[in-house]
Amino acid sequence: MGKIVAVHSYKGGTGKTLLSTNLAVTLAKKGKKVCLLDLDFRAPSLATLLNIEKTQHWLNDYLNGICEIDKVLIDLSDRIASKEKFFVCPANPSVEAIRDMSSKDRKWEMRALGRILSLRNSLLNDKGFDYIVFDTSPGLQYSSINAIVAADIVIVATTFDSSDVEGTRRMLRELYDLFEKKTEIVLNKVLYVDSVRAGKDKLQAMVKNIYEVPLLGVIPCFCEISRAEGKIIFVHEKPDHPFTKILDEIANKIDKL
Amino acid sequence: MPSQETLESKKPLQVLEKIKENLERLNEKMEVMIELQKHERKEFQTLPSEAPLDVMTLLSMPDHLRKTAMTVCRLGRATAEEIAQQTRRARAVESAYLNQLVIMGYLKKERKGRKAYFYVEKES
Repeated sequence: MGKIVAVHSYKGGTGKTLLSTNLAVTLAKKGKKVCLLDLDFRAPSLATLLNIEKTQHWLNDYLNGICEIDKVLIDLSDRIASKEKFFVCPANPSVEAIRDMSSKDRKWEMRALGRILSLRNSLLNDKGFDYIVFDTSPGLQYSSINAIVAADIVIVATTFDSSDVEGTRRMLRELYDLFEKKTEIVLNKVLYVDSVRAGKDKLQAMVKNIYEVPLLGVIPCFCEISRAEGKIIFVHEKPDHPFTKILDEIANKIDKL
Repeated sequence: MPSQETLESKKPLQVLEKIKENLERLNEKMEVMIELQKHERKEFQTLPSEAPLDVMTLLSMPDHLRKTAMTVCRLGRATAEEIAQQTRRARAVESAYLNQLVIMGYLKKERKGRKAYFYVEKES
């Protein structure tokens, strides 16, 4: 039975897309059949990041009930030199589509939740996917909470920014806990010297103390990631980079959860 | 004569089943009344007869109802027995919560024979 992983955060710019994309690719490279879904309808990134210019249908169409999910699935396995392992469902990045998705009513959001929940059946059970990875909008947005409700595991990307720490703490208590979700923290943009000096055990204890949930991984601030300008699949292009090794550890941990 | 025999033996059985069915319904109604009293009707006064069960609504619900409502969302359509298996709470408890959610307008209830199914109304 496959798993659904949602990558979420309180604030924007914490590295959700970087984490979700590279996690999906890492899992795919390990031989898992993975589908990455862009649920950030307010600021879609996967279409640009993965150079998807035209598609028959967007994920928006699936949620609007216009088509089924197989019409949205794009096989990008060749990008990571594998076969039938890495699939993507991008969100429509046009301003018109963003406007449309921002003005949905509660009834529509309720139906969207039903359609996201039914992905477990259509993708994991029928199509044999091992993982569904959701990239979400930051904060308390309908599409993100829908993703969290449908997920088995929620990965929260967070930084040491104080408003992010406080917001993440509140979300853990007032959002993930209420839905009884298995939640793990990924500390991102940690200064390399700090992460080395503090050591894993110390950071683990600190996260446990602040958030009362386990620490899944620590990602130091890498200049090479900023330099890549979000244009490459990092773990694929840079197999020997420390970031790739960290993602590999995170993927292994998730596989065991 | 065999035919009369079956007819005679069947009749009391049918009557008993009818009584059992009515008792079950009565029981459900009483459970709802108990629940309503417990929560002093606070939650029900301003609610319309049909309200969308979206995630923000789920978030604002009391914990005990959220668990039941989320399980219905996940299963799509289920009996109190099936919900109870998932939540590991007693069937009678789930039945009360489910009926409460029906009164609040979040769920619909449909009877098929002796079974009652609960589901989220998705059509507008």
